[in-house]
Amino acid sequence: MLEAQALYSYYGKSPIVQDVSFTVPEGSFVSVLGRNGVGKTTLLRTVMGLTDGISGRLSFRGEDLGRLPTHERARRGIGYIPQGREVIPRFSVRENIVMGTYTRRDGRRDLPGHILELFPVLREFLDRRGGDLSGGQQQQLAIARALAMDPRVLLLDEPTEGIQPNIVHEIEQVLLRLNREFGITVVLVDQNIPFARRASDHFIVLDKGRVAVAGHGEELTDEVAERYLTF
Amino acid sequence: MDVFFNQAFTGLSTASILLLVALGLAIIYGAMGVINLAHGEFVMLGAYAAWFLQSFLGIGLFLGLPLVFVFVALLGLAIERGLVRWLYHRPLDTILATWGVGIVLQQLVRMIAGPDSRYVERPAMLDGNLRIADVYMSNYRIFLLFFSVAVLVATWYLMTRTEFGTKLRAVIQNREISECYGIRTERVYALTFAYGAGLAGIAGALITPLASVTPGMGTNLVVDAFLVVIVGGVGSLLGTAAASGLVGEATALFSFLLNDTIGRVAVLMAIIVLIRFWPQGLFADRIRR
Repeated sequence: MLEAQALYSYYGKSPIVQDVSFTVPEGSFVSVLGRNGVGKTTLLRTVMGLTDGISGRLSFRGEDLGRLPTHERARRGIGYIPQGREVIPRFSVRENIVMGTYTRRDGRRDLPGHILELFPVLREFLDRRGGDLSGGQQQQLAIARALAMDPRVLLLDEPTEGIQPNIVHEIEQVLLRLNREFGITVVLVDQNIPFARRASDHFIVLDKGRVAVAGHGEELTDEVAERYLTF
Repeated sequence: MDVFFNQAFTGLSTASILLLVALGLAIIYGAMGVINLAHGEFVMLGAYAAWFLQSFLGIGLFLGLPLVFVFVALLGLAIERGLVRWLYHRPLDTILATWGVGIVLQQLVRMIAGPDSRYVERPAMLDGNLRIADVYMSNYRIFLLFFSVAVLVATWYLMTRTEFGTKLRAVIQNREISECYGIRTERVYALTFAYGAGLAGIAGALITPLASVTPGMGTNLVVDAFLVVIVGGVGSLLGTAAASGLVGEATALFSFLLNDTIGRVAVLMAIIVLIRFWPQGLFADRIRR
């Protein structure tokens, strides 16, 4: 459903992502791994159209994404949950979630009920400001916001970074449910190899902006981890 | 005692005009970080539009207001699309560019309408004064007071209770993520600029019965409006309103105690001192990020 062929992505004139090709099948769970600074975040930002330019081909459900502005990509059903969560600090939790619905083509603005079932803590804090939540709550809010758009695919950038362990587990469970029960395709950038192994159908390991290894979940061996992922 | 109340009312009246002029400026500055030095010329164009409608088409001030709003808003839209949007990442250059636009607009009006002062009649129904004890209040000034508050409330409603306003507030806080959630930030910016310009136009039209309409009338007004925005704190409607009241009353008070010129100096000094201690303005929004 999401496909890249010989994709280069630039900041200014520097290519950060270089000659990357991958396919994300519908309904799959794909982990993007790699050390810091190898281009994982840039890869997700490229899919959203937030880099300065690309060459090569990037398509979503058969449609060329390269020319589409960011807000149109969102309207196609690509939900992006950035690193650092980036909830709107002066918006209430409710407003933050409703913001997700702005991409919906049916024009509905109601708070989808199943979201609050997935994240009961948000229901308690609906009228609190996003900026006043803890990191873990903000992360849940960021995921809830993306779910409000009724996305086909979720792009998550290190959703468990800097979050207390009990919430990390909760978030991982939610991601698995979203993928397995709701059929939402997930592209996850993460440093957590055991979870990536457990959850993903496919993985991509980046190194210096290029794909170093790619394969099915079980091919993510200790050897691969040792070579590309340990510091 | 009468003198005191008369001065207080003069101050309030000045404040209401300041609020009308400053509101559009505050929105554009607060939302987009663009210091629009052509704002005064938007006010001036609103005044000329009102004059044109009344002198040539016989359309009175009130009936003409929506037309003036639309006219100046469209002009603002054109300037945003044609010029300002290319400079969002270069805020300092927008100052220079909008200043240039202001000069061009001023000269254009001078060429087309001539340099003479023009006058617009106030609506007949607002002739006369309201007298309470020995305090005289012109009906038109009372109307302006209520009207400016109404515009403030309408703007507040637009910003906080409508989807457009919510989108705008999202864009102000995080443009990139707003874009990622389907908000067309370019369009939001363009419409906000147009709205701010339209408000300036209305302000200009409503000032016409009180001041003569000249090509240079905007320059003085915009300076005061900037003071109001800075004192009030960027991005706060309440701050803009409070600062209008403060600057208006202070101007009236100092002018009464001293004289117009020294009074003005005193107001500016007071603002400098104020900014020294509250650099963010009186109503700056504080939140951890």
